[in-house]
Amino acid sequence: MVDILAVNLLTKTFGRLRAVDSLTFEVREGEILGVMGPNGAGKTTLFNLLTGVYKPDEGDIQYQGKDISHESPAKRCRRGIGRTYQIPRPFDKLTVFENLLVGAVHGGGLSEKRARGKVQDILNLIGLMSKTDHFAGSLPLLDRKTLELGRALATQPTLILLDEIAGGLTEKEATKVLGIVRKISEQGITIVWIEHLLMMMAEGADRLLAISEGRWLQCGDPKEVMNSTEVLDGYLGAEEE
Amino acid sequence: MKKAIYNSRWYVLAALVLILGIVPLMGDQYLLFFCMLFFLYLALAQMWNLLAGYSGLISLGQQSFVGMGGYVVAVMSNYYGVYIWLGVLLGGVFSALLGLFMSLFIFRMKGVYFAIGTWIFSEALLIWFSNWEYTKYGMGLFIKPNPNISMTEIYYASLIVGVGSVALVYGILRSKLGLGLMAMRDDEAVSETMGVEVFRSKLYCFLIGAFVTGSTAGILYIFQVFIQPYKAFAIDWTVKLVFIVIIGGIGTLEGPIVGAFVFVLLSQTLAEYFSVSMLILGAIAILVILIAPKGIMGTLQEKLGFEILSPRRK
Ligand SMILES: Nc1ncnc2c1ncn2[C@@H]1O[C@H](COP(=O)(O)OP(=O)(O)O)[C@@H](O)[C@H]1O
Ligand SMILES: [Mg+2]
Repeated sequence: MVDILAVNLLTKTFGRLRAVDSLTFEVREGEILGVMGPNGAGKTTLFNLLTGVYKPDEGDIQYQGKDISHESPAKRCRRGIGRTYQIPRPFDKLTVFENLLVGAVHGGGLSEKRARGKVQDILNLIGLMSKTDHFAGSLPLLDRKTLELGRALATQPTLILLDEIAGGLTEKEATKVLGIVRKISEQGITIVWIEHLLMMMAEGADRLLAISEGRWLQCGDPKEVMNSTEVLDGYLGAEEE
Repeated sequence: MKKAIYNSRWYVLAALVLILGIVPLMGDQYLLFFCMLFFLYLALAQMWNLLAGYSGLISLGQQSFVGMGGYVVAVMSNYYGVYIWLGVLLGGVFSALLGLFMSLFIFRMKGVYFAIGTWIFSEALLIWFSNWEYTKYGMGLFIKPNPNISMTEIYYASLIVGVGSVALVYGILRSKLGLGLMAMRDDEAVSETMGVEVFRSKLYCFLIGAFVTGSTAGILYIFQVFIQPYKAFAIDWTVKLVFIVIIGGIGTLEGPIVGAFVFVLLSQTLAEYFSVSMLILGAIAILVILIAPKGIMGTLQEKLGFEILSPRRK
């Protein structure tokens, strides 16, 4: 399998805190790579580095063979890296439809006319057809989560980064979101997926990357990673602090 | 009923523009003057609205472009005998070039620093022009239109920039650029990760604003006949535009229309009490901010639930 993304010795510090610390891993084309780690492990910071929200202090990011470490967030999005936010951040004063249109027109580079068709497909997929004209700011959490998914998808990504997309949802709601993620994966889109619910990772992910305090712990088969002593120690160690 | 009004809005607007188009034939000089001022202030204010209301750029330096536009017309007509409307256009072009130059410095700044940066540029221009022999120092320049033009022509030029500014901003908002602007307005960082080129979008708006402000000022100074640095580069210009946009409704297309009308009406009525007129305008602005912080049109839109010129996608 070909690597779509290769992260090499990536480091981000906030003052004295090494939020992401010499992290090296790769993402294979078409896979679902789960990312696990305790709170504060640096998972969201990693996504912010991958999407260009933060500049790395050290290391580099190769996407489809190109060094994108210093490209702007908009450029990376147009290259095909889409993302969701852990705490949904829809454009509150825009409608559901307009939220998706922004992704399709700007990130996806589609003409508004073509984007409209694309947006209809996505609305169907995420099940928000009946709420197209609702303001995003007025949506309940489940809808905000699915809108996050939809908006990322609208940017026509080849790689999508999901930050605790099922976090904070009831089991029934989470199942619905999982179904959408599975459909996205079936479209051939590569997924890097941060999630706290470990069972979900065990079933959903092809491989699992475990990090703690910004550092690489383990990467490989989900069940093996979860049961490895490094991960158990890493978890317990971090959780105790 | 509401829908019927909404659906007929283009006809109503077209009729309105048509009526305004025949004002010169009515023979009422005061009405002509009034409408001309209205259109000019509308164009200037709509540009400030494009920056502050849609692009997140609070400029306190629109007077840089007012002065530049006016001086280009003056210099072109005085020294080179350039066809007057070409001079107006060049005023816009030079203003946009000035904006491009300014952007090299101020686009690194954010929020209040950006605002102060734009202001400092205007002050620098004021000092420059009042010490420049070429533009006759602080004494200023007369504008000698080539060929001689009538009030009617100035009026139609004003009508074009006034109506044009509304159409232009409407067009921008309906375009890809505008869609990005509205996303930026809600969450700039997120819009960037969704592919919106934030820096470029802001720069485009800043340059468009500079161009229209510069050309509008050119027309204004043809009417005033005389330009001096202390007036042309004064912050009073931007203060007036802020007043118009705030009371009309910032971030709405109709706000500057209503605001400009109210402003011209008030400033003409209060003209005899010149010394207190600014105080009264200020008091009105504060009152509007307290009672209806979204301005007249912003509040009406909220109450009635529809916009006449809506940039919304359906
Ligand atoms: N912008 C920031 N400034 C300072 N510290 C930050 C910032 N973002 C994250 N951190 C810190 O970096 C560490 C990793 O945070 P984060 O990546 O959000 O963890 P996770 O998503 O794994 O829970 C935390 O200790 C957090 O407090
Ligand atoms: Mg996180």
